[in-house]
Amino acid sequence: MNEGVRSYQLILPSVVCSTHLSRRIAQEVGAITFAHQHGCGIIGLDVAGIDNFFIDLATHPNVSSVLIVGLGCETIQSNELGGKISSLNPSSKYIVIQESGGVEGAVEKGITEARSLKSRFQGPHLPTDSFIVGIDSASNHEGLILFLENLGIKCVQSPKGFSELMSLKAQIILSFPTPSQPPSGFPLIPVLNVAGSGVLHQALSHEFDLHNSAAYQEIADAIVAVAAGSKTISESNNSGEIIAPRLVRSV
Amino acid sequence: MSALTGFKRSDGRWGFRNHVLVLPLHQVLSNTAREVEGLVDGAVAVSHDWSGEVDSDFERIAKVLAGIANNPNNFATIFLTVGTPIETEIITRSRSLGATELHVLSLSELGSMTALLAHATNLATQLTQKATAVVRVDAPMSAIVLGLECGGSDAYSGITANPALGLASDRLVAQGATSILAETMEILGSEHLLAARAITPEVGKQIIDVVARYERSISYEGIDIRGAQPSRGNIEGGLSTLEEKSLGAAKKAGSAQFTGVLEYADTPPTPGLYFMDTPGHDIEQLTAFAGAGVNITVFTTGRGTPTGSAVMPTIKVATNSEMGLVLTDLIDLNAGTISDGVQTLDEVGDLIYQEILDVANGKLAKAEINGQHEFNLSRLYGSTL
Repeated sequence: MNEGVRSYQLILPSVVCSTHLSRRIAQEVGAITFAHQHGCGIIGLDVAGIDNFFIDLATHPNVSSVLIVGLGCETIQSNELGGKISSLNPSSKYIVIQESGGVEGAVEKGITEARSLKSRFQGPHLPTDSFIVGIDSASNHEGLILFLENLGIKCVQSPKGFSELMSLKAQIILSFPTPSQPPSGFPLIPVLNVAGSGVLHQALSHEFDLHNSAAYQEIADAIVAVAAGSKTISESNNSGEIIAPRLVRSV
Repeated sequence: MSALTGFKRSDGRWGFRNHVLVLPLHQVLSNTAREVEGLVDGAVAVSHDWSGEVDSDFERIAKVLAGIANNPNNFATIFLTVGTPIETEIITRSRSLGATELHVLSLSELGSMTALLAHATNLATQLTQKATAVVRVDAPMSAIVLGLECGGSDAYSGITANPALGLASDRLVAQGATSILAETMEILGSEHLLAARAITPEVGKQIIDVVARYERSISYEGIDIRGAQPSRGNIEGGLSTLEEKSLGAAKKAGSAQFTGVLEYADTPPTPGLYFMDTPGHDIEQLTAFAGAGVNITVFTTGRGTPTGSAVMPTIKVATNSEMGLVLTDLIDLNAGTISDGVQTLDEVGDLIYQEILDVANGKLAKAEINGQHEFNLSRLYGSTL
């Protein structure tokens, strides 16, 4: 089991209808959660696709334990999702709103269950030298990747966004937003944003961790510092949503 | 005192709440919007995951964002922007609707997320103070734009809550209000019955065409919708087929004539009963209503669901006492009394009608008390039409 550079408890809503209650539980216990619009009204490839996406989140190295919060009548059933997740991350449980007496009952039960979950990782949490850096960019960063890999930092690259890098188990993301996009974050993964030279990025220079002419060594130093616990700017702001991949319209 | 009170907007529409909506135009600002909602009493926020992509879904996204900003239940809307041209396009579109006081705070002008949060919090505080000072005035029944929704349906839906809601809808429409039935999937199999109630043959044909278009769009994906619906929760609730679900769902629209057919999130042009083309997905439907200017929604449910909207009070009506008497902190009215033999359909229809007026006049629905502000920007429509 790979240990991550962060050790978060995830309150995972298995359907849009449980996202608000999940946030209430997460705020109470100091866990991470996210809003989304999935889990019901989905058909075809999306049923397995969303299921797998939730499993990827729940088993990500930066996630220490997981509480799944379901509604009860949705397409993705939380008992089934919970079964799949617990075989991969034993520090997991699920609750169902419709079986918990309503809103307050479910929040109360969720807080109790979330607090009862132990981290799946042993001992004090330490950064390892085997973490994976995900590079979010459509451009070629061969030189940078070679430099980082020579330092023992593994890299994966994808132009498909943070969620894809999450599924590839990246524990830190190095993002090079396009000139029309602001720096952003991802709730479970620290994101280091590298500025470009465009007008928007200049206006948002305070929100970038690294400037556009940052040397490879400077980037490597920033990655190592984040792995050791220093917060990225987007992490401090809690900015950025989790965007699930969809292939088919809702029904 | 009049039966109905509300807030008259500059475009002639009426609101029953006086919200200050914080609306991010880029996903990276969604958390800031939620934080302002948490800090400022009276501010409401929605969050979404759109990053300004311009693709075949853009037209729908722009319509929904411009529309919800102008929902008549808003006193004012604060747009949070990154500072890109595509956001300006949506704001321009929203200004042309002209119902609500619109404000814009730009991240690139303010220079940092911290400054944006501080400015948004200050502005929301000032605007909520202004909003609180506005008093309700007597409103005509035509002020009501009612959304009809069902979710987590069961075998009782079609005999208790839905027909009772239909009676309330008929009564309001007869008094000059607007009422909107939606969820195209959930009229599949009963569209011929609804088309027969259309005010003109053209409207009847539109109802048939919208359902046919929907069925084509889903079969385009290589999927027979009848294999995926009713949902697992519906089946556990005793529904056997999509046609059975549809016949029950359509009862929410009572027996009034259909005045017209609306595309997703389109504003109804005149009072009357409408059908709107939306998915059955509860939140995509609620979002379409919010974008269309619906100012109050009644949501019937068999299994029980807590969801609501940042801008529209959403009244939950239980279809059965087994759930309705248990999940009491998310249910406003229990229509299970009809199948229990305790109340008649007419009596529950009257109760729903009165609840609509009470909530319009300021009584908080459970979803409002619980702070349920679900919203989403639906995708992948362009590719399937």
